[in-house]
Amino acid sequence: MAHLELKNITVRFGGLYALSELSFAIHTGEILGLIGPNGAGKTTIFNVLTGVYKPTEGDVIFEGESILGKKPHEIFSRGVARTFQNIRLFSKMTALENTMVAMHCRSNKGVMGALLRTNSQKAEEAYIKEKALEALKFMGVVQFADSVASNLPYGSQRRLEIARALASEPKVLLLDEPAAGMNPSESSELMKDIARISERGIDVLLVEHDMKVVMGVCNRIVCVEHGIKIAEGSPQEIQNNPKVIEAYLGQPAAKHD
Amino acid sequence: MSKKNFSIMVMAIITTLFIISASSAESLKIGSMSPLTGPYASDGTDIKNGVLTAIEVFEKQEGGIPGYDKIELFPQDDVCDPRNAVAAANKLINLKVVGVIGAYCSSCTIPASETLDEAKIVMITPASTNEQVTDRGLPYMFRMCGRDDDQAPAAAKFMKESLNAKTIFIIDDKTTYSQGLADGVSKNSKALGMNVVTHDHVNQGDKDFSAVLTKVKAANPDILYMSLQGYSPAALMSIQAKRMGIKAQIVTQDATFQPKFMEVAKDAAEGVYLTYGFTDPTTPEYKAFQQIYEPKYGKIAAYATYAYDSTIALLRAIKAAGSTEPDKIKAELMKLDFNGASKHVKFKENGDSGSSYIAFKVQNGQFVPYWDPAKGLIK
Amino acid sequence: MDSFIQQLINGITLGGIYALIALGYTMVYGVIQLINFAHGEFFAAGGYVGVIFLSFFTGLGYMETHPIFCLTASFALAMMYCAYLAIGVEKIAYKPLRKEARLAALLSALGVSIFLSNGLMLTQGVYDKAYPSELFQGGFNFGIITIGYLQVLIVCLTGALLVALNLLVFKTKIGMAMRATAQDKTMSALVAIGSNNIISLTFAIGAGLAAAAGIMVGLYYGSVRYDMGFLPGIKAFSAAVLGGIGNITGAMLGGLIIGMVEIFGAGYISGEYKDVFAFIILIGVLYFKPTGIMGENIDDTRV
Repeated sequence: MAHLELKNITVRFGGLYALSELSFAIHTGEILGLIGPNGAGKTTIFNVLTGVYKPTEGDVIFEGESILGKKPHEIFSRGVARTFQNIRLFSKMTALENTMVAMHCRSNKGVMGALLRTNSQKAEEAYIKEKALEALKFMGVVQFADSVASNLPYGSQRRLEIARALASEPKVLLLDEPAAGMNPSESSELMKDIARISERGIDVLLVEHDMKVVMGVCNRIVCVEHGIKIAEGSPQEIQNNPKVIEAYLGQPAAKHD
Repeated sequence: MSKKNFSIMVMAIITTLFIISASSAESLKIGSMSPLTGPYASDGTDIKNGVLTAIEVFEKQEGGIPGYDKIELFPQDDVCDPRNAVAAANKLINLKVVGVIGAYCSSCTIPASETLDEAKIVMITPASTNEQVTDRGLPYMFRMCGRDDDQAPAAAKFMKESLNAKTIFIIDDKTTYSQGLADGVSKNSKALGMNVVTHDHVNQGDKDFSAVLTKVKAANPDILYMSLQGYSPAALMSIQAKRMGIKAQIVTQDATFQPKFMEVAKDAAEGVYLTYGFTDPTTPEYKAFQQIYEPKYGKIAAYATYAYDSTIALLRAIKAAGSTEPDKIKAELMKLDFNGASKHVKFKENGDSGSSYIAFKVQNGQFVPYWDPAKGLIK
Repeated sequence: MDSFIQQLINGITLGGIYALIALGYTMVYGVIQLINFAHGEFFAAGGYVGVIFLSFFTGLGYMETHPIFCLTASFALAMMYCAYLAIGVEKIAYKPLRKEARLAALLSALGVSIFLSNGLMLTQGVYDKAYPSELFQGGFNFGIITIGYLQVLIVCLTGALLVALNLLVFKTKIGMAMRATAQDKTMSALVAIGSNNIISLTFAIGAGLAAAAGIMVGLYYGSVRYDMGFLPGIKAFSAAVLGGIGNITGAMLGGLIIGMVEIFGAGYISGEYKDVFAFIILIGVLYFKPTGIMGENIDDTRV
């Protein structure tokens, strides 16, 4: 069943087509890979899905309902979380705080409550903290809970970003090049994590240049070029698809940043 | 409607209104210049109110000026800033006013009067006491209030003879007026054999005087002479001095002659002395002024009375001259000899009208005449 | 030596007031990178609301019987009034310009400042408004040193407000959301932190603190007037820059330093140059550390 679906999406910047008539869906329980050469429109797709861009034409369906025109935070609150290609942590806050902030949408106590430290407020904060720690533990960065985010090693910052997304209890997680800048052992570690996330019942959309990661972890792959979907299928099908090979012609099919 | 059309429409309306107001009545235009905003807005507003009262009285009781339906005032705000004062003077010249009452701060009156003088417009200041105002030989510059070089000796004499002072701590706030007066008091006090222990300065607009008052407390002088522009800083300094337990007698000057001083400083105002031109509040002229002024603007304050007299003098001179020609007005001003609300008005050759400084003491929230340089204690 | 201690106490009192005002500048800058030049007017408005209620209570005679209640109520009402005033100003004058060049909002802030101070002048008059004088006269005397009851009250209350603010910003969820918004507005929006609410809250807290400072100034100096916001506003702004604009601890520190330098400059060198000393310190610090004492790389806070 389609969980999050793009229908005939066209995004035009002036006369330039970033995406044209693009359709694909993320099904419940799957890890979907999204590949394509640089400038193919992958990040634009992310921005459309999370409400940053409003498509010129087309519709975005989440859980059977259109989320077109919704604000990014509304979409986030509904359960679509993302990470960023370039790390977007609150660099001056601790890892724990970074994770707790993401759960803002799951709480409803106002300023007066915060100032007066009511019991329900305390209980809620304790709950949020527990959930946040759990997310950090899940991604294996709990030892950095009280460190300022900018002091974390690079790989851990990537993991913290995923932990933050997980803490918001998403239904769909969009990962934008999570393996960028990781060494081979780190990225194989990351593959296991992505599989574990999927086991938790969270659907994953993965944009990644590292073909080893994509092929190793995804159930299904969509390939785009110049804003047009050129192929869709299992990793084997994609690897043997002549259009995909052509799109990557002149570029090594695996590992390039 | 486009923006352009809209602005053309607005301009058309404004122009029309202007034409209507200009043609409907022949009015005699006079200007006033005083700070209506900024730190001295209250004193400046007193001046404007005094002028307005005079116009009202003159129209009602002296029948206005023949040939004019009414007397129109163009009050200008100089913010006690010399640049604004010159701009205001130019504006009044363009408005073709016959005379100007103002300004408040000596530092404004001096440059503005030079501009007005070039256009041959009479200026009467109700409040600027610095000597330079009338010492520059400008033919159209007149002064209703007293001069600092009369006030400073009176203050020094008072401190020496009545208060038996030996040591004096002087504070001014660096305006032409306050510093000029403070220097005069310092010079005169030394000449009388008193010791000026320190002459310190604060800034205009300061509220916190704790640092300088701590120095006063350590120096423990007989007198704290406050030369500040306006009642507001004077009230603040009196309060803080009292709170610090400073024993020195506070003596201050004409700018503090404002009932608001007691309202703000309350207990701290009690026993403060100040020098100010003597005005007899029992004369019929003063009472006539009081009757119109007080219901409208509240208690009569520092320069309202002088502003009133200045305006009456100007209007009477214009009426007597039967013309708006500057030299005729000046000639009539020089001939004036009448009892004003503040004092007997008779201009001297240099434009001054004489000083009548006496010492007042604040008692039970009132300025009470206390000491006269000529006669000693006033009973 | 006695004078030195007295000046120290004077400096802490004045510095505390500057610190309270400086916080509003720094918090607003931290969240939307705007120098809110209208901030000084919130301080003045607070002083006026304070005098209106305190005079009212005094008139009723409650000041004699329930002084603590009257003071608390006046502070609370003034702080709330200014908080709402600030939220309104933000909605009307700054929010529509948020996507424009920063200069637009800055000019708007200057306009609001002139509007509010003239509004105060027109509604409250050009004359000083006196605070009821019976409040907290006198003080503790130690030889030549006098510590006024009011100075004690100001220092204690300022301290309490600073601690409360620190707790709010660094220990609560709302504070976390504020810091997150300050660091990265887009990201905060993505994690469903309503940046409009946070910006309103920031303005409200800043203005509330300024209002408290306004009442303290009224109580301490005995009166308020419509233009009282200007100079302390400039000084507090300098304090915020000195401490590192956007940094809360820096603003507190900057306020204390400016207050101290002013008092010691006036006390030991000359009263006429005290502001000069304050600005020499400011320029000196900025020369060696352009982002202020506690300031970090400004780029960090930008999106």
